[in-house]
Amino acid sequence: MLKYIVKRCVNYVIMLFVATSMTYFLASAFMDPRSNYMERHPHPPIESINRSLTNANINDQTPILVRYWRWLKGIVLHWDWGLAPDQSSVRQAVGSRIGASVQLVTIATILSIVLGVSIGVYTAIRQYKWQDRVLNMVATFFLVIPAAVLGLFVALIAIWVNTKTGVRIFYVTGLHAYDGGNPFMWFVDFLQHIFLPTIVLLLPSAVGYHLTQRTYLLDTMNEDYVRTARAKGLPLNKAIRKHALRTSLIPTAVNVAFSITGVFTGAVITETVFAINGLGRYFTTTISTNDINGSVCIAAFGGLCTLAGALLADIFSAWLDPRIRLS
Amino acid sequence: MTQGQYDETTADEPNEAAEEKRHADYKRTGRMTLYVRRFFRRPSAVLGLVLLVLLVFFAVFGNKFTHWTYQDLDFAALGVPPNSDHLLGTTSGGSDMYAMVVRGLGRSMSIGFLSSILETIIAAIIGTSIAFFGGWFEKVGMWCLDMLMVIPSFLLIAMLVRSSSGTAGWLWLTFGLTVFGWIGYARTLRTLALSLRELDYVRASKFMGVGSFRIIVRHLVPNLGSVLIINTVLGVVGSVGSETSLSFLGLGIKAPDTSLGTLLNEGQSVAITAPWVLLAPSLVLIALTFSVQLIGDGIRDAIDPNSRSVGKAE
Repeated sequence: MLKYIVKRCVNYVIMLFVATSMTYFLASAFMDPRSNYMERHPHPPIESINRSLTNANINDQTPILVRYWRWLKGIVLHWDWGLAPDQSSVRQAVGSRIGASVQLVTIATILSIVLGVSIGVYTAIRQYKWQDRVLNMVATFFLVIPAAVLGLFVALIAIWVNTKTGVRIFYVTGLHAYDGGNPFMWFVDFLQHIFLPTIVLLLPSAVGYHLTQRTYLLDTMNEDYVRTARAKGLPLNKAIRKHALRTSLIPTAVNVAFSITGVFTGAVITETVFAINGLGRYFTTTISTNDINGSVCIAAFGGLCTLAGALLADIFSAWLDPRIRLS
Repeated sequence: MTQGQYDETTADEPNEAAEEKRHADYKRTGRMTLYVRRFFRRPSAVLGLVLLVLLVFFAVFGNKFTHWTYQDLDFAALGVPPNSDHLLGTTSGGSDMYAMVVRGLGRSMSIGFLSSILETIIAAIIGTSIAFFGGWFEKVGMWCLDMLMVIPSFLLIAMLVRSSSGTAGWLWLTFGLTVFGWIGYARTLRTLALSLRELDYVRASKFMGVGSFRIIVRHLVPNLGSVLIINTVLGVVGSVGSETSLSFLGLGIKAPDTSLGTLLNEGQSVAITAPWVLLAPSLVLIALTFSVQLIGDGIRDAIDPNSRSVGKAE
């Protein structure tokens, strides 16, 4: 078991390294920091542009491999993720914003798995009954509704509720507003803030889990071993929990890793809609300011989230499936 | 459906003359007819199809119903609510919302459909190749696919389309969506193609010396036909979602061109004061993705022989 996990870890580290390097080359090829300066009228002297670009290690006149080597050395030796075109440190900018994004992504991921899988099991047991049909229709609706539309409408509804009741129940901007010392008040304030963005992040991925878990469970529910368990006299609930559900959770666990990518993408939109100063919002800034180092750093963080999910999925499926554990 | 079953029961009968007579009376139900009938038996699928046809009609001929174009600015009517001249009102800049929505819908639709079709083609060829060749090629191929899925593709697309602008910007965006969109499909298709490579006629053609590419294109890909059709239809939802998200963030389609995402971005800032700017593109967008999803589900159930969701034929 331990050997298996270590092997997966090593594989993931190599994967992350290759993927991040690829992103670095891609970003260097397509983003043009020089245009930030050339667009100004009159543009600064060429030598001064070159000096600041070289200092940030994003000068397109330096060979790409030299730049890559410098960038890599900075990260490996000093954990220095480079400079933005305006000479500010990427590490500091990311460091101050990473907390908000981690909170959002983690809470939304965990809640969506719990919610999605339970609804999936609930509907699979009641296949083609009205509960199943209604929930499926609702799920299909939330599955296709684009993140931007969902975010905007949730915000509008919250504002409408606030004005109707006359009390500020939901906050539609930021993550914190309370700065007193009472931990209970702090927590309530936090909940008021994080509720809406979490809903927006959670809904699409929860209905995704619901629909796939329903399919997987329906596939395993008619297997011979479940029928045998029922024939032995096991109650339906127990037969499903102990025999069918256990097997059908494995493909769901594999899906978790890849749907974290979706949650991360959703976070970019949600943070923009709800004005949360997290990595997602920073990403749009880095793209529009041609900040190569900054955007690569966020891409690497996104990759790290995915692989953390993949590792958890590996451990979980090894725990569920003895064939993986023993091989 | 009834006729098909009737055929099967008569085939066992010994009386050949009677059988022939019946064959003359009853035409055999073809596979396509069966699929079409099953599709139309499902109300939600029909609803989706009607909705999509209406949207396509709206996107193509919608501009005939107004004299404004999406580029016109009416400085006499800034941010006015819907009225007889401006059917869906105007933005704070004076653009006619109706003309903008028609144009935006056309853009979003063409990007969605085009990139979804291209994605499916790439995914089908790469996914089946990985399964067909097997061995170390499969190991390396799968590792590469996994590696490509590590970084959220949305971020990579954003980097790529950053350098796009002008009228060809939407083609560039389609390219970006395609280049990073096929990876997940390829994984699914490879799993499905694993059992296909063991088929007798696939092995036979391999031993006969038929070229690998020819086997993949002639035997493996057609076998995945139904899955590919479903993937293409449902892929439109994903492509439209990515496109509108990018445009909403200001990283995709930019003025003077417009898409539904760009319009959402415009509507966000005036959501309280001028809700029609936000509502019109949102509703059209939801109608688009929802109709495509309903059609996709309908096709899946029509093609799937085990599906029981539309009831049994008696």
